[in-house]
Amino acid sequence: MPRISAWFRRQRLDRDLEKELQFHVDQHVRDLISAGLSPDVARRRARIELGGMEQVKERVRESRSGAWFDRLRFDTRDALRGLRRTPGVACTAILLIGLVIGGNTTIFSMVYGILTKPARGVEASRLVTLSSSVNGEPDPGHSYQDYLEYASRSTTVRSPLANQFDRFTLTLATGSFAFRGARVTNNYFTTLGVPLARGRAFTDSENRLDGSGLVAVISYRVWREQFRGAEDIIGQAVILNGHPATVIGVAAAGFQGPWLTDASQVWVPLVAYTRLVGQGPSGFRPLNVIGQLAPGVSLAAAQSEFRAISSQLEAAHPDTNRARRVVVVPYSVTAGGNSIIAQRGSMFLAIFSVITMLTVVIVCANVANLMLARAAVRQRETAVRYSLGATRVGIVRGLLIEGLLISLAAWLGACVFAIWTSRLIAGIVPAAAQGSALPLDFTPDWRVVTYAMGLALVATIAFTLAPAVRAWRQDVLPWLKAGEQGIVQGRSRLSSTLVIVQLALAVLLLTSAGLAYRSTSLISGRSVGFETENLVLTTVSTTGAAPNDDSNQALLEALRERLRSAPGVRSVSYARSVPSMPDRQWRQDPVRRNTAEASLRAWVTAVGPDYLQVLGLSPLAGREFTADDRVATRASAIVNQNLADALWPGEPALGRTLQLRAGHAEVEVVGVAPNALFSGYGNETKPNFVFLSQRQEPAPPGEMTFYVRYTGALDAIAPAIGRALKDVDARVPMVYLRTLDAELYANTWPVRFISLLLVLFAAGSLTIAAIGQYAVVAFDMKRRTRDFGIRIALGASSRQLLSAAIWDGLRWTAVGLLIGFALSLGAGRAFRSVLFGITPTDALTYVSVFVVLAIASLLACYLPARSVSQIDPIRALRQD
Amino acid sequence: MPSRKTDLLQGTLDLLILQIVALGPLHGYAVAQRLKQVSRDALHVQQGSLYPALHRLEERGWLKAEWRGTDTGREAKFYQLTSAGRKQLERERSDWQRLANAVALVLKTAE
Repeated sequence: MPRISAWFRRQRLDRDLEKELQFHVDQHVRDLISAGLSPDVARRRARIELGGMEQVKERVRESRSGAWFDRLRFDTRDALRGLRRTPGVACTAILLIGLVIGGNTTIFSMVYGILTKPARGVEASRLVTLSSSVNGEPDPGHSYQDYLEYASRSTTVRSPLANQFDRFTLTLATGSFAFRGARVTNNYFTTLGVPLARGRAFTDSENRLDGSGLVAVISYRVWREQFRGAEDIIGQAVILNGHPATVIGVAAAGFQGPWLTDASQVWVPLVAYTRLVGQGPSGFRPLNVIGQLAPGVSLAAAQSEFRAISSQLEAAHPDTNRARRVVVVPYSVTAGGNSIIAQRGSMFLAIFSVITMLTVVIVCANVANLMLARAAVRQRETAVRYSLGATRVGIVRGLLIEGLLISLAAWLGACVFAIWTSRLIAGIVPAAAQGSALPLDFTPDWRVVTYAMGLALVATIAFTLAPAVRAWRQDVLPWLKAGEQGIVQGRSRLSSTLVIVQLALAVLLLTSAGLAYRSTSLISGRSVGFETENLVLTTVSTTGAAPNDDSNQALLEALRERLRSAPGVRSVSYARSVPSMPDRQWRQDPVRRNTAEASLRAWVTAVGPDYLQVLGLSPLAGREFTADDRVATRASAIVNQNLADALWPGEPALGRTLQLRAGHAEVEVVGVAPNALFSGYGNETKPNFVFLSQRQEPAPPGEMTFYVRYTGALDAIAPAIGRALKDVDARVPMVYLRTLDAELYANTWPVRFISLLLVLFAAGSLTIAAIGQYAVVAFDMKRRTRDFGIRIALGASSRQLLSAAIWDGLRWTAVGLLIGFALSLGAGRAFRSVLFGITPTDALTYVSVFVVLAIASLLACYLPARSVSQIDPIRALRQD
Repeated sequence: MPSRKTDLLQGTLDLLILQIVALGPLHGYAVAQRLKQVSRDALHVQQGSLYPALHRLEERGWLKAEWRGTDTGREAKFYQLTSAGRKQLERERSDWQRLANAVALVLKTAE
């Protein structure tokens, strides 16, 4: 604590210094007198030569080692005094900077939470994901062959693991449960740094499946919930997707796979399981590969090695590895997985980063303006300081410290604000995809707090710069001669520019928010085209009950028959796809009348019998699939009206044939469905659909969704469905059950969410811009009080003054609005891909924004101008 | 004051002070006077430079100071060279010598 003790010593040192210098002066005087000067002259000469006792003392103080500390203390005290003298400006600045940094930090912590945090339980550092691309297009994954090549060839990436997503049905004495899980290599847990809470991971012999039987590792959650935390869990026999298996380990608490959205609960050995279920080499694709960077190896080095490995593999296996490239990316970046949030979310967050950055600019411009206005009043004070010997560096340092104090207070507020809003937002975000609850961790940590601090510092520099430059250049004399309010200059060009910048950006934010808001209201107003009430979606998993495609089809039919007879059920169908756009089961395929033509794109999906009937629709022509469609009959299809009109305009579509993707047999159109948004809300206004018969396209065992139209209460139908499923086969677990309305709502939440946030930010920035304009105008008016007094004394009416002041303000508003609308037009085009069904030039939005901003701006000019225009001229002139 | 001011090189003042004080304990005023005398009035140190330098040297441990009575009976702060200060003086002297020689050499060849 040498600095602190130096500070305590200061008093004594100062006394000593005073004594020492006094001695010097006295000695000098004595010498001069003895040299023959009169005492008076001698004293004056000595003092002139000293050049000011205080200055000398100050320089000695500065030469001490603790000097910077003292100086900081003095400057801080000075700055605090300065801020206290204009508490309104100080509080406004703190509030504005605090709010904007808080908002920005919230967004940052969300981006950070989603894009950079590893999944829970993954402890290993320096993990990298090997992603692959073919011809520059992202490829779903690696082949097992390639994985082995990476493992043997690479020296930069150690112990790479491979895993493949899969679905499992775990059958126990207590019932069947559907889980997500993965087929993994032996080193899966060690590479990810996930310890096992019980038991051990797989051995080589278990992965070769040489007689030891199928083994599995389960998640901590499954152990606690399905096994009630049984102590004898290791070695327990279970049925996994119909195969007897032994539990050999329990993963550490919290671990649910390396992707945030995985929610994996079961892991089996990759090679052994793939062989067990009788899949050939194709069963291995696509694999995800994660490895650990070797010590001292940079990401770039690993990347260049894998560039070489990619070329080697291309040369060795030109048939499979043509143009295939491996890209090494930090694992944390990929931890978001392929969820909606990770895919679309990053775009939303990018938009938000831009938006919040804009608000930072608005606020900095605003505070800079406040500071500038304040500095204008303090010009005289600055001049006095200069004349008393303050250096330019010292003055600017003082301004900087004032800025830092404001930012410090704002930063503290911002951190509190960010922590609070992050929690709030994490609560608002619904479970993105059902069945894979995304454990969002938005809690700000030290990195987020540091980010906020960095932002606060940048803000400080941004808003102190303008007054600092002005103080640096300032002349001394004119200000000393003038009274405090004597000199009235018009508002500076800089200050006006800052107001325009704020207004323009506020317009941009408001119109963006308006467009997003309109888009969501259009969504709620838009019908999907079928009856959404009284429809329940029940997703089941057949992996535990059906060993192959044909038995799966038979099982589905049996389930449908049983469900139809359940009490309260009116009709039942099934499909792999649900009306939710990001659903993986929807595929957009090329369709055409014959191979000679160019193809259109249509959403293709297979559905069960009575699909249209369950949705409350009936075919416009022909029929829909029935239980009588047989595999043996000719492959049939139902197209929607849009597609029928596009392919056979003006002609009946029935009986025509349709070419689907390469490799698929020709299908015959047996029915035309009305246009409806079968795949949920999308960007297309007139999507094309082709429905194939599920009976003719038997699906492999997996997840299937039953569409159940019912009457009566949902409370009664849900258990009835559960009982019906159990009656048919107890090994068929219900993965999840929700109403169609809920599914549609989940489909649109990203847009609702983005527009909610946009509206909040826009409202905030409008408030900030209005406060800013108000503050600047108010300050300006106050400064010109004397000027107004003179004008009133000379006969100007208060109305004249008022309108002059308002016109002055509105001129800038007009310029700001114009620039803002120009920017908005550009932004609206960029938004078009995100927003549902609006044009970037939505007139209603623009008019509303114009009215709102014009009113806000008018008020901001009117209120301060009015109070000044009614001033008593005598009082105004006496001021100072 | 008709003194010709010579701008001292950065750090030169420290060397001069150490040299003057090496001859015996002196107070600040005496250091300034002695410097003026010895340099035949060429070097005139302002208090604004002298006292910060004295305090800096004291803080670095090259000078030590004590209050004692003068011949006029007043208390004054006397500065005295420490052994560290003596070593520093030697170092600065040889540095200065080297610099001076080098400058002289350059000036000679330039003629």
